[in-house]
Amino acid sequence: MSEMWINMGPQHPMTHGLWNLRVRIDGELVLEVDPEMGYLHRGIEKISEDRHYNEVITLMDRTCYVAGMAWENLFILGAEQALHVEPPERAKWIRTLSEEFQRIGSHVMWYAAFVQDIGLMAPFLYGMRDRDLVLDLFQSYTGARMTYEYNRVGGVRNDLPPGFIDRARKVCDWLLDRFQEYDDLCLGSDIFRKRCDGLGVLKAADCVRAGITGPMLRSAGVKRDVRKDRPYNAYDQVEFDVAVADGADVTARYLVRMEELRQSVRIIRQCLDWLERNPGPAMAENLPRWMGAPYAPVGKEGYLLKRNYPKGVGLSAIEEPHGEALAYVVNEGGEHPYRVKLKSPIFTNLSAAKHYLVGYRVADIPPIMGSVDVCVGEVDR
Amino acid sequence: MTGTSTTVVPKPRPPIEAAAPAGELPMVTQPALPFFEIETLRAEQFIPNAKEALGSMIAEQAQDKLIRPVFNWAGRNSLFPLHWGLACCAIEFAAAFGARWDAERFGVVPRSSPRQCDLLIVNGTVTWKVAHKLITLYEQMPEPKWVIAMGNCATGGGPFRTAYSVVPGVDKLVPVDVYIAGCPPRPEALLDGILLLERLIQERRE
Amino acid sequence: MEASARLFQRDLMGKLSKRFPTGFLGLDPFPGTFGRIRFDPAIALELFREIRDVHAFEHLAMVAGIDWVERREVLYTVWSDVHRGYLLLSAMLPAERPHIETATTVWPSANWHERETWELVDITFDHHPDLRNLLLPTGYQFHPLLRSFKLHEPEELEVKVRHV
Repeated sequence: MSEMWINMGPQHPMTHGLWNLRVRIDGELVLEVDPEMGYLHRGIEKISEDRHYNEVITLMDRTCYVAGMAWENLFILGAEQALHVEPPERAKWIRTLSEEFQRIGSHVMWYAAFVQDIGLMAPFLYGMRDRDLVLDLFQSYTGARMTYEYNRVGGVRNDLPPGFIDRARKVCDWLLDRFQEYDDLCLGSDIFRKRCDGLGVLKAADCVRAGITGPMLRSAGVKRDVRKDRPYNAYDQVEFDVAVADGADVTARYLVRMEELRQSVRIIRQCLDWLERNPGPAMAENLPRWMGAPYAPVGKEGYLLKRNYPKGVGLSAIEEPHGEALAYVVNEGGEHPYRVKLKSPIFTNLSAAKHYLVGYRVADIPPIMGSVDVCVGEVDR
Repeated sequence: MTGTSTTVVPKPRPPIEAAAPAGELPMVTQPALPFFEIETLRAEQFIPNAKEALGSMIAEQAQDKLIRPVFNWAGRNSLFPLHWGLACCAIEFAAAFGARWDAERFGVVPRSSPRQCDLLIVNGTVTWKVAHKLITLYEQMPEPKWVIAMGNCATGGGPFRTAYSVVPGVDKLVPVDVYIAGCPPRPEALLDGILLLERLIQERRE
Repeated sequence: MEASARLFQRDLMGKLSKRFPTGFLGLDPFPGTFGRIRFDPAIALELFREIRDVHAFEHLAMVAGIDWVERREVLYTVWSDVHRGYLLLSAMLPAERPHIETATTVWPSANWHERETWELVDITFDHHPDLRNLLLPTGYQFHPLLRSFKLHEPEELEVKVRHV
């Protein structure tokens, strides 16, 4: 009997997180895969029902720890819809700016980890170096490197500090040059091309059928991006292109992410221009006190409003660095949400693992799974 | 695995050819390599008459006073943590090995196999589902071994302490030597924790 | 909401009420989407097929279960590349043994979503190909996202590690 099941995980350099890929193999050939999740199931949806709306943001940062700001935006959009609050215009632009910086941080982190997986060591150091520059910017206006707790129902916690815009522009210029360097390191490398070309192919029709979203879907040529199709925050006022490729393999996913990095810089520059020209409040005024941030002006009615506050439901969708993420927030009155349902893009991307792994070799699994960009925190929640 | 059917049929393989006898292989001539003498560090350099000291009846005392510091010194300067990312802190763990902080200058090199490690850095939330795997990994590590609980989740459950699936503190499962506070701790904090552990190892007597 | 979207919504409502005279219970407005369809779980599979094949909602984005104590709601969110918008499908199930037909035959991506909904909210999906624990350990007795499940304080726990 030459067939056998092997476990890759939960402690395996390939997994980049806490999950287990069970693989049935015959020699080197992958016959069947069965991802085993739940090792990082922290019950975020359940704890959210026990927390104040602004306290849930703490959990959202940790839901996806490489894209915390995107998940904050996601929950806040849903919560604002459920609570009937409209943030000021400047807050929307700051959120757009933050989300694009987070996309750069996440994609550069992916680049560092993925390229190390396929055997190139130096890109890890380059990637971490540039990611730290983005995190320094986050730190200058949120106070934290990864877990920001920056958004609030009705706006953002504080405005950008003086001098931020100039610093951000310098980082953008620096990053654009570095992206060229990344491409030189990878696309010019024989190791990279031999390990990535033609691997993990999943064509457009199969992607749509399997519910795959994000860079994986766009690498197959499907032009679906929530930022364009259903604009939120200030995405309807900025110009950018949706990055697509048609190879549908690991190299195509690399190309899509690299193009998204450049488009993110383009969006950030427009946001910086707008924010420089349009000062204003970054927090909605006259919020009831129980809902507002610590820095929000106290509403006249105070706690009285809580009893008669209208119920509501909110559905928000954003284009997270990994794909399409949804949040469904139910407000049944009171300080706590009645139900928070989160949908992670990687959850569905991973559930289709058999479509892009079966038929390849065991040694192909690390590059393919690397190109999926797994962040287990948001799969298990 | 339940309820799935096999669809992939393995292709028939060609028979394995017998290996050619060694004599028929072309001989590869290797150029003469320059020979380096490497200075090795021996216990004798630190402890004069170490063999006699070990052989004598006062070996116990000698071990404590003479050999133990050498072992501790060596272990302190080459901590090999297990390359295992649990949750958020794993990203800061990776950042500590990146270009800016470069934890390898302290001799800390992450290894992927628990058999090669002497340090388990629990960098994230431990759930009940992964608890027994964590214990298994800890028991696979050779003695002497140490554990660092990195971040609030590993220390006491952190923001998820009331959750139904989270272990409220990894010290319920394995003995912890150093706790690092923070959610997540910055890479400097991780390095500080490692240096604190190094001091603890230096003073170790057992 | 745009006028074209409102037109599409009215069109969808007319077609569905003609196709399903009894099972289709209505289309409520829902901000930011084409609306929320309320349907009887008996017509679930036919409705899913209709929504995907006739109305071109080919991407299932989310399956959510909500516990309303006296009954349970299962909510499907679908996306259409043609119409560029979300549509919600909602069915109310009894709290006593809630079950509904699986959507995996129509949208294969429903597989894991339904496994998760089954183990967290205790809604059974009939004819699901692989209904077993996904996030929780195999054989976990409870359904944590029910309202009756309360969170504990960790001090109440007693941890026993058994070495084999």
